[in-house]
Amino acid sequence: MKVAKIKVKDNIEKTVLSFLRETIDKKLFDAILIPMMVPAGDSYAWVLAQDKSLLDGAYYLPPIMSVQGAKALSSVTKGGKVNKRVAAIMRPCEIRAAIELSKLNQIELENIFLISMDCPGALPLKDWLKDPKRGVDVFKKVIQHFVDEEPKPDKSVRPACAICHRFSDSDAVDLHIGILGTEGEDILFIPHSTQAEAIFAELGLSLNENLSRWQKGVDEVLKQRKKKRAQVQEELKSTVVGFDKLLDTFSNCINCHICQSVCPICYCRQCYFDSDKVKHPPDDYLMRAESKGNISLLPDKILFHLGRMSHMALSCVGCGACEDACPMSIKVAQIFSLIADRSQGLFNYIAGKSIEEPLPMRVYEDDEFHEVESP
Amino acid sequence: MKTKDFEPKIMTFLCNWCSYAGADLAGVSRLQYPTNTRVIRVPCSGRIDPLFILKCLQDGYDGVLISGCHPGDCHYISGNYVARRRFAILKTALEFMGIEPGRVQFSWVSAGEGEKFSQVISKVTEAVKVLGPMRKLVKAANSLVG
Ligand code: SF4
Ligand code: SF4
Ligand code: SF4
Ligand code: FES
Repeated sequence: MKVAKIKVKDNIEKTVLSFLRETIDKKLFDAILIPMMVPAGDSYAWVLAQDKSLLDGAYYLPPIMSVQGAKALSSVTKGGKVNKRVAAIMRPCEIRAAIELSKLNQIELENIFLISMDCPGALPLKDWLKDPKRGVDVFKKVIQHFVDEEPKPDKSVRPACAICHRFSDSDAVDLHIGILGTEGEDILFIPHSTQAEAIFAELGLSLNENLSRWQKGVDEVLKQRKKKRAQVQEELKSTVVGFDKLLDTFSNCINCHICQSVCPICYCRQCYFDSDKVKHPPDDYLMRAESKGNISLLPDKILFHLGRMSHMALSCVGCGACEDACPMSIKVAQIFSLIADRSQGLFNYIAGKSIEEPLPMRVYEDDEFHEVESP
Repeated sequence: MKTKDFEPKIMTFLCNWCSYAGADLAGVSRLQYPTNTRVIRVPCSGRIDPLFILKCLQDGYDGVLISGCHPGDCHYISGNYVARRRFAILKTALEFMGIEPGRVQFSWVSAGEGEKFSQVISKVTEAVKVLGPMRKLVKAANSLVG
């Protein structure tokens, strides 16, 4: 497969942006959905930029994940498809969440051109907030280590990123931006659709490079991440699997439901656990307390987590947004990675990997899972 | 508590179109079966959210039985097949949570199978009896869990 190679000018970020500017210039897109640094300089917000000058403060790969990109995209297409051509540039886990949401009828992907990139990870929000300026420098190092000919894992990224083995997945996108194995000197624009190829032609980009160097970089990082994932999951199993351990793990949860509200996959307009269904008359609580000895308040704390696991383990994309936002530093995403791997594995399903693969709950075989049937 | 003294409480979700009628038939046929079950009638086994099951286990039930139409007989075509997939996931989740998967059972009973219904109830009751009370949850409740 041949791809387009562009020499990096100044830095990767600026080079990608100038490519995007040109697409707007040539009217190939009407708008670009991209993170933009906020005026205070301490965060990044998603914007739909229609004017190329607006792209000045944009970052195709910001150091943090503030709002999960799929959430931003779904807010745009809630009311139906967009009628203009929009390019959305997002991290692979954000893309996968967007694909998953489109299968769940929460995002309309028509006219949306998806762009992903090799993702080194994102910095934990808590670290970032202590000193955003320093964070920018830390993230530069993260990228350097990532694109090195011999990539090194970087300890500053979020735990969910350190174990992410889908950092370069691009099955469902139109265009993938490859930076691995390039030493930061080149950027590879890898087309995945005829639309992408048409855009290359418009921009006069020729397909002049093969993928061997890039592939080597991808394989190396993949090896490292898979190893780390196995190790972290093994450790987690011994600390969270089993009822008492699970309870201990969530014992300092303050029941704020932030993990749910930032999760792109938890799209219900109202979560059952925020509804009147879980509010009972006073006597009910006294009755529960009587039968069990006591009940902890707020009620239904553990049930909330178990409910969430059973509802969305099949679609969890491992983006780490839940864990990043948790004020109590509970390893929510890492725990979800265990249960998600198991449940998705039952159906050989990978959440958000491909648009064609149907959601496991929308299809069935006559002859399967007989082991769950009682004799 | 010895197994023989322990009478488990089992929540039973029965599909209106088949197992519920099967239970009815068992009743009018005066078949004998254990009285440990409480019945909730549902429109289809596909109506059951895993959360219902977890909620029962949290609230003091020792086991849960779900019974729906035989494969191919669901009135909504695929409700029972999807339910089976859901329970396959729930089973792995139960192991993860340290709850014995045997506490949750899933069967097919048609309207004409009064005899089978009484057998299923006996078997499930026996299986849960052997597992004993949902001690973990009770213990957990005492150590501050909602
Ligand atoms: S979870 Fe993976 S794709 Fe998402 S930000 Fe982290 S490394 Fe990137
Ligand atoms: S549960 Fe956490 S890791 Fe999984 S999709 Fe939701 S926010 Fe991302
Ligand atoms: S964000 Fe953290 S503290 Fe809040 S409900 Fe989720 S796990 Fe509990
Ligand atoms: S109608 Fe009985 S299982 Fe669907």
